[in-house]
Formats: sequence, C-alpha cells, structure tokens
Amino acid sequence: MEIRFAGVTKQFLPDIVALQDIFLTIEKGEFVYLVGPTGSGKTTLLRLVTRELVPTKGRVTVGDVNIRKIASHNLAYLRRNIGVVFQDFRLLPDLTVYENIAFVQEVIGVSSHDVQKRTNDVLDRLGLWRRRSLFPEQLSGGEQQRVAIGRAIANSPSILLADEPTGNLDIDTADEIMQLLLSINASGTTLIVATHNQYIVDSYRQRVIELRKGRLVRDEKKGRYRVDGDF
Amino acid sequence: MGTFRYVMRDTWRLLSRHSGLSLLTIITSVAVFFLVGASILFVLNTRYLVEAVEGDLTVQAYVRDSQEALEVVARKASSYDSVSSVRVVTSGEALERLKARLGKLAEAVTLLDENPLPPSVEIQVKKASFATVIARELIAMPEVEEVVYAGTVAERLQKISHFVARLSIVVLVVSLASAALVLFNTIRIGVFARKEEISKMLLVGASRTFVVFPYVLQGVILGTAGAALSVLLLWFSYGMAITALERSLPFLRLLTDRIIVLRVGAVLVLAGVSVGWICSWLAASRFVRQASRSI
Ligand SMILES: Nc1ncnc2c1ncn2[C@@H]1O[C@H](COP(=O)(O)OP(=O)(O)OP(=O)(O)O)[C@@H](O)[C@H]1O
Ligand SMILES: [Mg+2]
Repeated sequence: MEIRFAGVTKQFLPDIVALQDIFLTIEKGEFVYLVGPTGSGKTTLLRLVTRELVPTKGRVTVGDVNIRKIASHNLAYLRRNIGVVFQDFRLLPDLTVYENIAFVQEVIGVSSHDVQKRTNDVLDRLGLWRRRSLFPEQLSGGEQQRVAIGRAIANSPSILLADEPTGNLDIDTADEIMQLLLSINASGTTLIVATHNQYIVDSYRQRVIELRKGRLVRDEKKGRYRVDGDF
Repeated sequence: MGTFRYVMRDTWRLLSRHSGLSLLTIITSVAVFFLVGASILFVLNTRYLVEAVEGDLTVQAYVRDSQEALEVVARKASSYDSVSSVRVVTSGEALERLKARLGKLAEAVTLLDENPLPPSVEIQVKKASFATVIARELIAMPEVEEVVYAGTVAERLQKISHFVARLSIVVLVVSLASAALVLFNTIRIGVFARKEEISKMLLVGASRTFVVFPYVLQGVILGTAGAALSVLLLWFSYGMAITALERSLPFLRLLTDRIIVLRVGAVLVLAGVSVGWICSWLAASRFVRQASRSI
C-alpha cells in the first residue's frame, strides 16, 4: 500500500509543532530510512500512519484512503496491515515471548492452528525459539527488540513501521536485525525505519528522508546518514 | 478458533489475576440476590395467603352465649338466597377444631381449664362477594357480637402484603444498584490494570467489540455466579423456613412446593446475567472508546 502525506502539520500544544507541512509519497514495497535529531518528529510521523494521531492540517492517505475519514471498524482492518516496532518495544510484561507474538494474531481472529504455526515460524526466524517461554523482563535488550519485531511481522503486514529497531544494539546484532528487515522488505513489505544509527544507514543504502524540527529537509535515493561535509 | 481460545484464556486471566476482588464481587452479589430472592418469596407467600383467605366462603357470626340467640341468628341467616348452608358451632366444637388445626401444639390448649371459645353460627355463602352483604346484615342484629369473614382478614393481610411488596421494590432497587456498582468497579479495575494491553490490542487492529468481550464475559460470569449461588442458598433456607413454619404455625397456608424457589431463581439468574452484562459493558466500552480515539 502506498503512503502519502499531503501538507501534513501536527501540532500538539499551541507552541509545540512536531511536524510542519510535510509532503511525502512512499511507494508500495519501498525501504525508507527516517533520520533526524531527537525531537525532530520521526515517531510522530509514524504515529500518523497508524492513526494513533490525526493531522492538525493536511491529509494522510494509506492505499488511497484518507485515514482520518475511516470508520472505526475499517481502522481496525487497516491496522492489521500495518506492523509496528515501537521505540520502547511495548511488550506485554505478563505474557511470555510466545504469547506476546501469538496475542496479536489471536486478537484479530486468526485460527488457533495458524497462530501456532506462524508463531513458531516467527520464533524460528528470529532465533527466539529457546526463549519462547520467558517473560520480557528476563530477556536482554536485543532479545526484546527481536520479540518486538517478531510481533510486528506476525500478521504479515504490508507495511512495517520500525522505530529505532537497532537502538541499544551492538553492531553484530544490528546487522542481524537489518538482514531480517531487508528480507521482510524483499518479500514485498513496505518498510519505514526511523533511526539514529549511522552505521546501518551507511552500510545498507536505501532512500533517506531527513527531518529537522518537524520539517522535511532531505529526501534522497540511496542516501547516507549525513549529507557529505555536514557534521 | 484462536479467538475463542484467546477470549477464554483472557477471561480466566482477568478472574484469577484479581481473584480477591472477584471473590468479593461474588460474595456481594450472592448477598444481594439472596436478599432480593427472599423478599420476592415473602411477597409471593403473603399474596398466596391473601388469595386463599379471599376464596373462603365462610362467614362466622359470634353470638351472645344463649341457645335462643344462636337459633335466631341461624334462622335469619338461612332466609337469604345467597346463603348455601348454616350451621351452629358450639364452644366445645370450636375447641375441637382449634386442637385439630394446631396439631402438636394442641396440648397447650388442654392446659386451659375453661373453654374460652364462644359459640358461633357458621354461614357458607354461595359466592365470596356475598360475604360482605351478609356480614353487614348480621352485625346489625342485637344478638350478634362480632362477625368475622374472609373479607376482614383478607383486607388486613392485603395491607401487609402491599406494604411488603412496596418495601421489597425498594430492597430490589437499592440492592441491585449496589451490586451493579460493585460489579462496575471490579470491571473497571480490571480494565485500568490493563490499559497498556488494551491500547496495544487496538493498535494491532483488534476490533473494539473483541477488546471489550473478555471484560463483558468476566462481568457476566461474576453476576451469574453470584445469582446462582444465592439461588442455591435460597433453596436450602426456604426449605428450612417452610419446615419450621409448618411445625410452629400449621394453620398457615404457604407455598410449600420448592418449585417456587426455582422459578424465582430463574429470574434471579437472568437478573445476574443482565446486571453483569450491562455493568461490564458500560465499564469497559467507555474506556475502550476513549483509548481508541486518535489525538
Ligand atoms: N503527545 C504529545 N504531546 C505533546 N508533545 C508531543 C507529543 N508527542 C510528541 N511531542 C513532541 O513532538 C516533538 C517530536 O517528537 P517525536 O517523538 O516525534 O520525536 P522523534 O524524532 O521521534 O525523537 P527521538 O529521536 O528522540 O525518538 C517533540 O518535541 C515532542 O516533545
Ligand atoms: Mg522517536
């Protein structure tokens, strides 16, 4: 599904403008890095795609639908097509690794046979099989990160939004996560990765969109984390 | 179905996570539904008693103690078309009757050395509605001291039964409201404890109905369990109450068939289901609607 921002402004309080006048189109199947200093509006942009937030001005469309106008049950269906890896993971602390991943499938009515199969697949793919019956607090940061990704891809979404998926990870683990994200993208899923990680952006070159103080300042194919000579 | 299993597991999680609270809620609703059930049964019994008395066609005229007076009254009574039979009941006969009615307690009566019961003329009218007319005619006679017929007794009983019925409506409203409040709060606590999970569910595309469902089920289970346990309690205590009353007041006509408890019980369980349903739905859906609002 195509994602389009048309003149989007998001203002929180009268004096906090998180995003300003954003025009942006992300095609189906694209891989996009969202970069920019802290507080520049990356998370806000992602939250507008899931309609956790609605724009103060302008329009966000996902697959030709203005998501502001969508009815609540259709919103639920839209969200089933969007996987989200949160900056702070937001795993459910009372559920095991397995249950955290199974949960998002169960709540949208996947049959229990399929839940079992898909959850096991995901656990396998993310190398979490041995950790399946542990609770989030018993996991390392990188493992929690992987559970969060596993949960986001469990429903095979057509769009995956990853907010800092390699935060707090060493280079090797970040590499693993990137391989995983690339393979998900290769299977046709649109990816938007918000990140501060210069290493991954420069090693796995993709489209780069840069925000500064809520404004889009750069949109570059096969870009780098920083513009040459910019420090 | 994955969904079904999830809902079951989740409901169980809700109930067991806050097991103390669940228990408290059940105990409260047992108390409430017991109270409601008991007052309904009481009202039904007084109604039954009133009906039984109202249907009685007997008019009893107590007469000054002289054979002559008795005969005068009996003759006068026989002259009415609406009267089907007239009989003179002597003091001795009256005493025998009382003994028979009292059953085991009859011994108490034999302790009296003098027969305190007055003789009377017992008149059967053809229809209950004639009783008042006949009673009025008889009381006008100088020989007659007092007339007792179903109407007077029924009237008194009716007053009591009205009062009880009104009281029990108050009991019903107050106690159901308090049960509803307790249930509502229990569910709300469950909802608040899982704010994060709820917003998560909504964000991955769970429908509101689905999110609310386990809470509604939790409410229905608590409400129904409370009502069902109270019916069980009513079943046994009604049996005991009836047995005790029959022993001490054998002349009282009561609803001795315990099927009545089951009928009232069915109503209570239905009330339990509805109260549980409505309260939990209100508690959960309002919160979920708020949580699903985009800012
Ligand atoms: N709910 C909110 N209410 C008020 N202000 C908010 C809210 N959410 C975000 N903001 C503000 O919007 C601005 C952008 O925040 P956002 O989280 O999008 O930044 P970010 O680019 O994701 O930063 P980081 O890299 O640190 O995650 C910040 O100044 C933040 O304080
Ligand atoms: Mg952020």
